[in-house]
Amino acid sequence: MDVLLSGQLLFAALITGALYALIALGLNLVYGTMRLLNVAHGDLVMIGAYVAFWGLTLFGLSPVVGLVLAAAAGALLGWLTYLGLFRRLLASPQLMRRLEGNSLLLFFGISVILQNLASLAFTASARGYQFMDQVYRFGDVALTGNRIFVLVVAVAICAAVYLLLRFHVFGLAIKALIERRDAALIVGVDIDRVQLAAICLGFAIAAIAGVLVSTTEQISPFMGFPFTISAFVVIILGGLGNISAGLVAGLLLGVLEVYGVALTSAAYRSVLIYGVFIAILLVRPQGLLGRGSVVR
Amino acid sequence: MIRSLALPILFGLAGLVLPFTGSSYLIGVGFALCCSIALVQSWTVLSAMTGYVSLGHAVFYGLGAYVVALSWGALPMPVGLLLAGGVAGVFALLVGMPVLRVRGPYFVILTFGLAELVKYLVIILESELGSFSRLMFGAPDLGVLYAIAFALAAIATAGALLIRRSRLGRGLLALRENEEAAETVGVPVVRLKLVAFALSAVIPGVVGGLAAMRTTYFEPMQAFDPTVSFTIVTMAVVGGSDDARGPLLGAAFFTILSEVLWARLPQVYMVVLGLLLILFVLFIPRGLAGIFAGRPGKAA
Repeated sequence: MDVLLSGQLLFAALITGALYALIALGLNLVYGTMRLLNVAHGDLVMIGAYVAFWGLTLFGLSPVVGLVLAAAAGALLGWLTYLGLFRRLLASPQLMRRLEGNSLLLFFGISVILQNLASLAFTASARGYQFMDQVYRFGDVALTGNRIFVLVVAVAICAAVYLLLRFHVFGLAIKALIERRDAALIVGVDIDRVQLAAICLGFAIAAIAGVLVSTTEQISPFMGFPFTISAFVVIILGGLGNISAGLVAGLLLGVLEVYGVALTSAAYRSVLIYGVFIAILLVRPQGLLGRGSVVR
Repeated sequence: MIRSLALPILFGLAGLVLPFTGSSYLIGVGFALCCSIALVQSWTVLSAMTGYVSLGHAVFYGLGAYVVALSWGALPMPVGLLLAGGVAGVFALLVGMPVLRVRGPYFVILTFGLAELVKYLVIILESELGSFSRLMFGAPDLGVLYAIAFALAAIATAGALLIRRSRLGRGLLALRENEEAAETVGVPVVRLKLVAFALSAVIPGVVGGLAAMRTTYFEPMQAFDPTVSFTIVTMAVVGGSDDARGPLLGAAFFTILSEVLWARLPQVYMVVLGLLLILFVLFIPRGLAGIFAGRPGKAA
């Protein structure tokens, strides 16, 4: 019982939760604006992790620089896939009829390609590096520097994106698109540009999250999938396309996972995550924190 | 009608001739092909006919494998296989009620999540039972397994053909186009969906059991591998799922591709699979069968 009340566990939950919130934020932007189910989202996390790893190993660049490089790589990938694939998908009425299903298949294709190209290029073996691994003490809580780094960066980026969506004109356009696409078009939102921006931003956020992951964990070409799943659980928990609820849901999942595992054992982690996932889908598909009903 | 039967008959004849080659390599490939055909045809009964796209058919496959592994040595092999199909079907009936209320993208990810949940539950169960993988000694030889797989593929193909022409099939197509409208004119949508779900689960259950016999062991991570679900969907997309020809073409295409590439260059195979999936979704939505029908890209 002492363990459950310790600040150590609380911080572990906060760090996991902030990371989940960040990863899910990117997924939610892409789903919200375009109704695309990005099952390759975790693979973008993987790409970000490799950018940081190679940046440090080959050029001695700090992961702080890696954050910028990864964001650029993510945005570039978003730009390429939007122009190459999704603009076409979104423009064809016939493909739009089953947009979510089709987007899921396309992203699955992208996911398989990214994983296996990474595996061909970097080999399948796990890699890691040391970064800020000195321990800091706050009262009875001991945290390594890299975990504080994860927490600070994740919270800062979530906050920045939230403020962007809330106050900046471009963010408002993204929000308009999420809420009512047709109306956004009528009032003069340049849908094509906003969609491109949303996908670049969403991919960049995932890649940044990858850099954060790489500072604390080993990385491999197939590391992305569990992040895809967690991100989907989070955005469903918050309600698909509901950005601010998604941030709260990310923290909630972090708490659920860390305390759930502490109460049972690590073997139950997946059962816990999928159990929550299924329960929410069955009972409240509009999301635990969502308002009203959604078009299903 | 004749045109749509030509290809299944061709496949059937080839399948009957195959054992006489006596080549265990070819029979092995034939076994894989028949299993894939059986899986994809079963999948279309639910997903192509009702529009409820399942990304979790691995759960039926895995359950079938688990039933056969558990009953191995205790029950005669044919009984174990029938039980595998039965358990998969009953499981579909049980979870179908709540699951089939959920629609569209939610249904897709729900089926996926369900399959993963069952996988991890089986892993926990197995570790509680103190077993991490089960070996099956004395599995039937390849010729027998091939014969069963061929029969399953034939049953699944005939079933898919018949269901499309039946009252059930028409009801399913009606609810795919517009569930509310179908219900209004008296189609019992809830019952039909459930029947389709159960029907599409039985044969994958048997195939899973058969596959476990072929590898002679059961391991949950492998039996419930989500790749099984993804491969089924990919085959259906590339082959086309508007009629019974698509799954035949899709399964044949990927079986050959995997023979050529998988053993030597597994990663290249996966990259090619991803590229093909993207290509077909965007440019050839009716699949290989659509090209055969001479109207590629036109919606049904």
